Amino acid sequence: MPRKRELTFWEQIYIPEIIRGVWLTSAHFFRNLFLHTVHRFGLFKDLPAAVTFQYPEQPRPLEPRFRSRHRLTVREEGTPRCVGCMLCETVCPAKCITIVAGEHPDPNVEKYPVRFDIDLGVCVYCGYCVEACPEDAIRMDTDILDIAAYSRDAMKLDIHELMDPKLRKPVAECQLKFPHQCAIHGNQIEGSWESVYGSHPRESEDRDSRFRGNDKVVE
Amino acid sequence: MPTLTIDGKQITVDPGTTVIQAAESMGIFVPRYCYHPGLSIAGNCRICLVEIEKAPKLQIACNTPVADGMVVRTNGQKVEQGRQSVLEFLLINHPLDCPVCDQSGECDLQNFYMQYGLYDPRFKEQKVKKTKAVPLGPTVMLDAERCILCSRCVRFTDEITKTGELGIFNRGDQSEIGLYPGKELNNKYSGNVVDVCPVGALTDRDFRFKARVWYLSSSPSVCNGCSQGCNIDIHYVTDRPHLAGGARVMRVKPRYNAEVNQWWICDEGRYGYHFIDQGRLRKVTHRGVETTWEKALMELAGALGRVKEENRQGQIGVIPSAQLTTEELFLIRKLFVDSLGISQCDARVPEKPGTSDDFLIKADKNPNTAGAVSAGLAGSSFDTPAVRPEPFGKLRAGFVEGRRPATQDERCTAAQIIDRCLAGQINVLWVFGHDLVKLFGEQTVKKLSQELELFVFQGSNENGSSRYAHWVLPSAVYAEKDGAFTNCHGLAQKFTKAFEPLKDSRADSQILTELFERLAAVGPEQAVHPSTGPAPDLIGGSG
Amino acid sequence: MTGVDLLIKLALAAIVFFGVLNLAGLHTWVERKQSAIMQDRIGANRASIFGIRLFGLFHPLADAVKMFVKEDFIPAGANRFLHTLAPFLSVFFALAAFAGIPFGDRLMIGGRVIDLQVAKIDVALLYIFAMLSLGVYGVILAGYASRNNYAFLGALRASAQMISYEIALGISIVGVVMIFGTLDLQELVRAQGATLFGIIPKWGIVVQPVAFFIFLTAAMAETKRVPFDLPEGESEIIGYFVEYSGMKFGMFFLTDFVETVMVACLATTLFFGGWQIPYLLPDGFHFPWGAVLPVNPLAVVLLGIGSFSLKVLAFCWLFMTIRWTLPRFRYDQLMHLGWKILFPISIANVLVTGLVLALLHPGGW
Repeated sequence: MPRKRELTFWEQIYIPEIIRGVWLTSAHFFRNLFLHTVHRFGLFKDLPAAVTFQYPEQPRPLEPRFRSRHRLTVREEGTPRCVGCMLCETVCPAKCITIVAGEHPDPNVEKYPVRFDIDLGVCVYCGYCVEACPEDAIRMDTDILDIAAYSRDAMKLDIHELMDPKLRKPVAECQLKFPHQCAIHGNQIEGSWESVYGSHPRESEDRDSRFRGNDKVVE
Repeated sequence: MPTLTIDGKQITVDPGTTVIQAAESMGIFVPRYCYHPGLSIAGNCRICLVEIEKAPKLQIACNTPVADGMVVRTNGQKVEQGRQSVLEFLLINHPLDCPVCDQSGECDLQNFYMQYGLYDPRFKEQKVKKTKAVPLGPTVMLDAERCILCSRCVRFTDEITKTGELGIFNRGDQSEIGLYPGKELNNKYSGNVVDVCPVGALTDRDFRFKARVWYLSSSPSVCNGCSQGCNIDIHYVTDRPHLAGGARVMRVKPRYNAEVNQWWICDEGRYGYHFIDQGRLRKVTHRGVETTWEKALMELAGALGRVKEENRQGQIGVIPSAQLTTEELFLIRKLFVDSLGISQCDARVPEKPGTSDDFLIKADKNPNTAGAVSAGLAGSSFDTPAVRPEPFGKLRAGFVEGRRPATQDERCTAAQIIDRCLAGQINVLWVFGHDLVKLFGEQTVKKLSQELELFVFQGSNENGSSRYAHWVLPSAVYAEKDGAFTNCHGLAQKFTKAFEPLKDSRADSQILTELFERLAAVGPEQAVHPSTGPAPDLIGGSG
Repeated sequence: MTGVDLLIKLALAAIVFFGVLNLAGLHTWVERKQSAIMQDRIGANRASIFGIRLFGLFHPLADAVKMFVKEDFIPAGANRFLHTLAPFLSVFFALAAFAGIPFGDRLMIGGRVIDLQVAKIDVALLYIFAMLSLGVYGVILAGYASRNNYAFLGALRASAQMISYEIALGISIVGVVMIFGTLDLQELVRAQGATLFGIIPKWGIVVQPVAFFIFLTAAMAETKRVPFDLPEGESEIIGYFVEYSGMKFGMFFLTDFVETVMVACLATTLFFGGWQIPYLLPDGFHFPWGAVLPVNPLAVVLLGIGSFSLKVLAFCWLFMTIRWTLPRFRYDQLMHLGWKILFPISIANVLVTGLVLALLHPGGW
């Protein structure tokens, strides 16, 4: 492919080409100016004068594959579906995921995240965590884009915001019952499995059937 | 002497050798689950199938003795197909637990499946459910579903510890590993069943969910738990401080050394690493007030220099520790005994002998008593811990002959030093690592603290001494420094630094060298490379 | 000159000053909005007062507030006096040039004749060119006083460019001057009120079309705006005012727009009949087919002012359209265009004009 194309004489004298360019831009100018004006009077509303989205008021429709803020999918009883395998933490190229795993009372689940933080200030939104997850426990489908905050700390999501995308900082009250580590309790592990399952599931006879039913992801 | 051909290469081995051993000696690795060089041969996993010419079927390499003129192929389509089929059988009832399994990443099922696996599985039926996450004892967790019934753990408890807690129960696909009734897997070597387990059936309760194995870095080292000096690998993580509450060392694994510990290590050594990250001294303090190394070293060097000028060497007592490396002990000797002329410097403390057995656990819980003796800091012989019979045959002899004789006068022990402190004869005391409260009682140490002119504690962890000492100098633990330990059999073993010292702590050798520099009595080069050091063959050893 | 005359002059100056500065200020809004509309966008519209946005008209206001409250930074080691003087020089010469622009016919009120031109100068054209040429001093001083190599190089580029194009600019109007025979802009405009062959208005563009294009090109280069914005290069290369902030930067910014307006005024005056409206004579319209529509003389003057303003605005729009249509020239292309194309053509234009004039008026004029 030739890198440089020789200009024709017509192009070399500039003026016609300049007029052509000015013609194009002016055509857009007058068409849009006309449309803007008649839109004021409610006419030709179906002909757009600008492709602009007035962002905060008029959010742009997102593609289905769009990677937005993360969330952790939740089991029916309100515990994260995550089994704390740390594959997302491993695959994360930005190293923005922090997981501390704990013992789940159900031996068929075995492991769950006591702590699950994502530092959005570091995240590159590559979506590898979603790809790596063997449990469909992390998704990037909240359609939340406005993660801007006044401090770096406010961009660190912990398990509360990740499990409930509607929650925004500052999270004042901890609604999670299972043992977990969060800033609200001064980064101590608080909560109990009894408050989630009643009696300890290890002692429950039909624990297998009981947990098998809980694999459905709560949307 | 049979000569056979393995993968086109000829080898001559002793009669009675198995094919897998012969292959191993040539550097050819044959996959194995049930075969373990330290255990008897079971031959039940069938993964080590090799092709032997003139044999009608594939043969297992682990239990086929070599014969003259044998032609073995450890690879090829037939062998790979055989292994693929074996893996398909092994995985029929193996759950897809890899994400939550602690073994994942160092699991032989995973490793061999990557190589020989049938990636399009044919098994569609229900898997057999078995018990999961059952504690077998204080150290080991069983997941019966993941077990491939190789029986390594059963043979370990039968043959190595001879405690026989484990067995295989039930029949067919219901077979599972379990404890005999009324038993618990709580012998002193129980952690080794986790190491021998090729899959994630037996996992370590101490390491459970702490980290994924691919986060771990490994550094070869020597256990400091007792004078046996077992070879270990320190598995640590330094870039993920959220794991295990900020600890760096995640676990300790035995490292094969035929002369010291073979494949094994005791539980005491395996789980005794927590002091590396917990209860560490992080700051230089003077009477409870944080200060800097610069100030501390200036003042201490000044104090020692004054003592030398005023010829008050008799008023100084130094208690080194047999937990230090040979190099550091030598520096202590060089600084305090040879340079300052202090005679009251001895590492012998009145410790009660710990538990011991005739396998790996030694009563002397210091890793380097022999090193202290060779530096002339622990009398002229091993007095408390006796030299144990050698468990694994040939050991380096001639240690006693090679040792330096004690210099000058016969020195007093630590107990005598403390007595002289209490009597007012000694008013400067320098202690390395020892917990004086444990050894001599709280009242005594309190009194020492009040009456001594200078009381320096140089150690890695908080203990009774660090509470009462005037100066606390934080030093590095063995995992944070280079050096050598000489074990109770006289074998000097080098080890290297796994990671940097915590916070402000420094290696004892660095502290002592800097003291040397400030004292300007002996140049640092002379201190680090002494012409009259321990015999070079003592440092070396099997690193 | 009586006190009343002085008052009238002051009033005229105030009117011109008010008009020009507002037009320049409005240019920032036009710049944003026009580019947006040309590019199918909406443009800046978020600045609001009590929720009233008014098509983004508050943005120039917000800009002004921002400029005034921003830190006025003078780099360490810079010449503080010259650094401060440069933007004032720049904007002063640009504004002073307007004194020579006639924006309407002479007005008769109460027997007093008021020329709608701030300074009635015989050589107003030379005066304006002198002022425009002096503007380069502000630029050079800015680059020189900033103690910044990039600023200095930017200033060198700017002065080289301005000098190259001023020559073509100056020569391009020689033809106009030759035809109308005057340097007094008011007379020049009045002369354009005549018609050629009785129907075509004798505007500059009709008699000097080549000169017009040369003038337009050179004048745009003179204003240092795209496609001739190499001295500033605000998007990637660094220009002479890199070390300026706050209102001092704002003055340079304003100078550009004032010069744009200036060039629009000159183009109108020289080539588009200034305040002339075709066939409108002081007593009314005299159409070529003979019809006459009498108009009040005062209304004629007001129509003239309107005509002038409209033409100026049209030129402003044209400049803006070109600015948002063409990409920037490379520096060698810029110099090539100035010295090797515009300069020879303008010389040739003068020669041809002279020849034609000599043929039409063999006895001289």
